[in-house]
Amino acid sequence: MSKFTKTGAITRRSMLKGSGTLALAGAMSALPSPFIRNAEAATLEIRALMWEPYVLPAMIAEFEAEHGVKFTTTFFDGNSEAYNKLKLGGTRDFDLAQADGFWSRLYSREGLIRDIDLSKISSMDNVFPAFTAPEYELLTEETSGAAIGVPFCWGGYGITYNADEVSEEEVSSLGVLFDAEKAGHLSASARFEENIALAAILVTARMGTQGDPRPDGKPFNPYVLTDAELDGVQALLIEQKGLLMTRYQDLGTLNNLMRSGIVWAAPEFSQVFRQLQQLKREGKRVPNIQHRLQAEEGGLGWIDSWMVTSGVEDSEKLEVCHRYLDTILRPEHMKAIADKAGTSTCVDIRDLSTEEERELFLMDRTAELKGLHMFDQPSSPEKWERVWSNMEAA
Amino acid sequence: MSPLFQGWLKLSESQRFLVVTAPVVLFLALFFLVPLGSILVVSFWRTESYQLITDWNLQNYIDVLTEPSYRTFMLRSVLTALIVSLSCVALAWPIAYFVIRHGGRYKLLLVVGLAVPFLTGIVLRVIALQGVLGPIGLLNMGLMHLGLPPFEALMYTKTATVVGLVYLYLPFVTTAIYLSLLNFNFRLLDAAKVFGAGNMRAFWEITWPLNWVGTVIGFALTFVPSLAASITPRFLGGADGTLFGMAMGSQFSATGTWSLGAAMGVVLFFVAGLTLFTISRLIDLKRSGFTGAGGRD
Repeated sequence: MSKFTKTGAITRRSMLKGSGTLALAGAMSALPSPFIRNAEAATLEIRALMWEPYVLPAMIAEFEAEHGVKFTTTFFDGNSEAYNKLKLGGTRDFDLAQADGFWSRLYSREGLIRDIDLSKISSMDNVFPAFTAPEYELLTEETSGAAIGVPFCWGGYGITYNADEVSEEEVSSLGVLFDAEKAGHLSASARFEENIALAAILVTARMGTQGDPRPDGKPFNPYVLTDAELDGVQALLIEQKGLLMTRYQDLGTLNNLMRSGIVWAAPEFSQVFRQLQQLKREGKRVPNIQHRLQAEEGGLGWIDSWMVTSGVEDSEKLEVCHRYLDTILRPEHMKAIADKAGTSTCVDIRDLSTEEERELFLMDRTAELKGLHMFDQPSSPEKWERVWSNMEAA
Repeated sequence: MSPLFQGWLKLSESQRFLVVTAPVVLFLALFFLVPLGSILVVSFWRTESYQLITDWNLQNYIDVLTEPSYRTFMLRSVLTALIVSLSCVALAWPIAYFVIRHGGRYKLLLVVGLAVPFLTGIVLRVIALQGVLGPIGLLNMGLMHLGLPPFEALMYTKTATVVGLVYLYLPFVTTAIYLSLLNFNFRLLDAAKVFGAGNMRAFWEITWPLNWVGTVIGFALTFVPSLAASITPRFLGGADGTLFGMAMGSQFSATGTWSLGAAMGVVLFFVAGLTLFTISRLIDLKRSGFTGAGGRD
């Protein structure tokens, strides 16, 4: 009979024995507790708030082993979600955070992130000049000019199109996304800011107001619009609604719609373009899908960045955060991210890429970033919300 | 007898009632009333550039009630919820009736079978449905293989949203009607037939009114969530299919206009509450034979 099957009534002896064991266990756990706590404290935890596609488990495992830290991740979908998380006390819950475009500066203004020391991040040497100050200033603090983040991926919000159905000339203008002749063969994303901003570029170009004095006194920005321009945008979006097959919620849907030849043109981050090009290279039957980064009226772009939250006050943790930023920006890791997430990188990985990849990931076209309007905060989210609701209800 | 049980026996009836209900009241207060209260408070504030401003005003309610766009969303939602609930009741009755009358010893198994889709998440179920109804879904690919044109009415349309919601909530209504029929005395039908009633008359004059409570509960279980539906219209409804719940959801995520979203939530809560109240007025407990209200009369 196994010793584990022995049962019986609870006796005074067994009670005493059990109580003694419990008391001993309690004493053991109480007495050396300072040492146990020290051992726990030795495993520093770095908590990242990030987009899921950018996670590299193998790299994280190596980093943990090399620095003796534990790296944990929490994912978010949109910037506003991450912003809410950080605003609601999340600077104590997260050490590293990701954002794109203007959001880094918003975080900085609100004290959610802290300055970083770029001299500790030698991998910054590999970053294309187009993504660093003074060429790109959204990752510097507005008054002091201190670095508040590092760029790592970039892209546009160009037009992916079926070249068998849409000519190169047609796609040179944003007007192709509002062309009544292509009714039922157009799609757009469900992102309200970018739909309005992209329509605003076309509307302001048609109205000839891009060169006029702007409401904020700065050069034209499709995220800062006059009421007349917003009215024009609303009318254009209402007109477009009847032409759309659907507003895609995820890239998989757009991929299916373009692959099947139902949708001929749609604005997107160029990931679907790359996915379909990859399928074509694998010999699959796919239409001739091409991507236009910027139309003649202008275009939108974005740069994803890593930042250190203001909750990181401890110098040891700050040091590890800097090392993490240095590690993630190494070309071999950025190549892995490009392969996994299908995005262009701010780090020069041309030596690790094929000629095809250089073209596909726009590695020789980083200078075009200058012509793109960066994703920004709407000048009045309330007015933009009304434009979007009016369009959806029309 | 344990001291705990002895203590319990010493308590008066009202004290026992308090002990039993306190955890429930606490749970509801913490997880229902407090969040609801916070939504109510935020609805009287305003948002400006992603900032909540504690500036008490009624503007959000004025906007929700007077702006044509929000009224359109609400109208669409109410109509959709009505169509979905009525469709569910119409479909659930024959299913539940068949299971009760012909399910035999597999009755319970058949009803449990209705819950199988619930083993997956709602997003997964809606995306799976998109794979059936979408332009390159099972249905349209099948039609195209037969040389027929695609069925456009189900490709990112309001009809697709209705189909999706019916698919999601049909099991609830079927279960409610099934449970009602489970306690129904079918010999009453035999008696009616003896006195010359046909099948249809027996159904409308006996089966239907005596199972009215189950039907109405099933209707309400579908109507309320359909009214607030967000995910289904997002994935299936297309560019013209925005419903109130979907528009409300985007106030808390994409647009960051939280106080307006909160006011929309409060309005939705009242519309749903009003619907439930109206439904409760429709139920004639005496006529339905319902005995769960505590009295026989």
